[in-house]
Amino acid sequence: MEVSFGITGKGYVLVAADTTAAHSVIKVKNDVDKIIELNPHLLMAYSGEPGDTVQFAEYVERNIRLYQIRNSLPLRPPSAASWVRKTLAQSLRSRSPYSVNLLLGGYDTSDYTPHLYWLDYLGTLVEVPFAAHGYGSYFALSLLDRYHDPEASLEEGIETLKRCIAEISKRLVVSPERFKVKVVDKDGVREIEL
Amino acid sequence: MSIMQYNGGSVIAMVGKDCVAIASDLRLGVQSLSIATNFQKIFPVTDRLYLGLPGLASDVATLHERFRLLTNMYTIKEEREIEPETFAQLVSSTLYEKRFGPYFIEPVVAGMQKTPSGGYKPFIAATDLIGCLNFAKDFVVAGTASEKLFGVAEGLWEPDLEAEDLFETISQTLLNAVDRDAFSGWGAVVHVITKDKVVTRKLKGRMD
Amino acid sequence: MARRYDSRTTIFSPEGRLYQIEYAMEAISHAGTVLGVLAKDGIVLAAEKKVTGKLLDLSETKSGGYGGSGEKIFLLNSNVIAGVAGITADANSLVNYARDYAQRHLYQYNEDIPVEMLAQNLCNLKQGYTQHGGLRPFGVSLLYAGYDPHYNFQLYHSDPSGNYSGWKATCIGANSGTAQSLLKQEYKEDIAIEEAIGLVLRVMSKTMDSTTLGSEKLEFATLTLDAEQRPKAKIYRPAEIDALLKKHDLAKKDEDAEMKS
Repeated sequence: MEVSFGITGKGYVLVAADTTAAHSVIKVKNDVDKIIELNPHLLMAYSGEPGDTVQFAEYVERNIRLYQIRNSLPLRPPSAASWVRKTLAQSLRSRSPYSVNLLLGGYDTSDYTPHLYWLDYLGTLVEVPFAAHGYGSYFALSLLDRYHDPEASLEEGIETLKRCIAEISKRLVVSPERFKVKVVDKDGVREIEL
Repeated sequence: MSIMQYNGGSVIAMVGKDCVAIASDLRLGVQSLSIATNFQKIFPVTDRLYLGLPGLASDVATLHERFRLLTNMYTIKEEREIEPETFAQLVSSTLYEKRFGPYFIEPVVAGMQKTPSGGYKPFIAATDLIGCLNFAKDFVVAGTASEKLFGVAEGLWEPDLEAEDLFETISQTLLNAVDRDAFSGWGAVVHVITKDKVVTRKLKGRMD
Repeated sequence: MARRYDSRTTIFSPEGRLYQIEYAMEAISHAGTVLGVLAKDGIVLAAEKKVTGKLLDLSETKSGGYGGSGEKIFLLNSNVIAGVAGITADANSLVNYARDYAQRHLYQYNEDIPVEMLAQNLCNLKQGYTQHGGLRPFGVSLLYAGYDPHYNFQLYHSDPSGNYSGWKATCIGANSGTAQSLLKQEYKEDIAIEEAIGLVLRVMSKTMDSTTLGSEKLEFATLTLDAEQRPKAKIYRPAEIDALLKKHDLAKKDEDAEMKS
């Protein structure tokens, strides 16, 4: 069962996703990276229909790169999120819609603010302080209602993230064993070992 | 479970004396799970005209972007801003274009309409998801709490309310209606539109 | 047979020049002056109107639209205003194109178009007409005054060849040489918008042919940020221009008042 979530803090966004690739009841892989770096200050965690996910993520990645090459300007997080939303909404009413749910975390280098967006395969977009997809959301969201602090330092943010992961490992029947965690802030994207 | 109830959310508009008000809740959910408590469903079209879009959240964004494009192009070509009555017809025809594969939205329009004599008169309207217009003289409701909104509004609304009284009436109507609806709530936003200004207030309701 | 040589209008001359473009530039150098100054907290744009006269009906411009008379200064998007010099009919066509392009960007990305992207796209269009045969180039130069979060306030100039460049202060149209040397002398780094308004009006009053300035000869606009840090374009209405000139002591004397006294 796929789980992903994101938390904003003071000047950063943390995004975590499980690393399992499942084929019906079998885990075929446990080191999959489901968080793509769209540009130096933009992350996207994806989950959903296998095949659609990677295909769509790479489509987004290349379009965002193309925009940067054409215009010598990065696409800022709010604009990137809106473009991805539009693409998903158009896909929804096409012959073969993408079944992909996303979390978009970015750091806006023009006004120095972190942004986290929750998107689903319907083309729903909303900016949130914290977000989750999959069965983990039932545990993570209520924990984050209690413990999330938008002014928390990165260390405090990671502690909150660990609480969420611990809760999911404890209570979810089909809990994933490993998570990949990435952070984006003024210095760009990097991976964090828990 | 209908797609119209998937994300939840409600909008109401009321007529007052030389003013109109439009209000909505702020919840966005996926069925009974709340995802966000800051989801705007009401958008300004001009300084005297607002549009409420309760329904499927994806189509809220799609239609907001679409109507913004259409009204901007109208302003550029006509060199004037669109009037509420004209805009209501635009909403209706845009929705009916998708008669056999509709947007899952029931829009609400509220604004002050210019009269030939140079004054302004209150205007509200609502449509169903395929653009059937309902011009009301008192109030219009839409969204997951619409039945409750009808009930409370029927009891609280009276003709010729001044701006401040209209604010109180629409706020109480909305807050009490969404308290009985599991898919709406988490605070509200109210716009009171008069001919020369708009007063926007955020309300806290039962934040649970 | 004669058409073999002149039907394709933009071809190189033996000296390697494109005469049609130089003619277009010539047309612009007779047009009303347009002047732009970049300040740290905004941009000022002013333009000299050439089509004036007692019998010209300006009643619509006094009330409706975005303000201004719609001859020289236009709102391209909520974050960009433009001043045009050259053939007015060509300018209108370019303005419509620019508005359309800016709206397409807003629809696609849910953000105001970055200023340079808009200028660049108009230049792509203009360049096309210097190369593809059978059509004449646009006889228009533009000044773009805009704001975006990437580079804040920006001032660009584009000419009929499709070249564009960024400026702190510049001028196009008649007497642009004089105005530019005046600007070079008087421009200071980190100028504030109020000073920039004064500078623009001063330079305008020295450059324009007429001895006194008034709203019937002048268009004026500013781009600043509002309380929520969003760009706010203001194209002045005739009465506001007269009030501004009066404030800066550049207004013409009221002739009727003099006659009475």
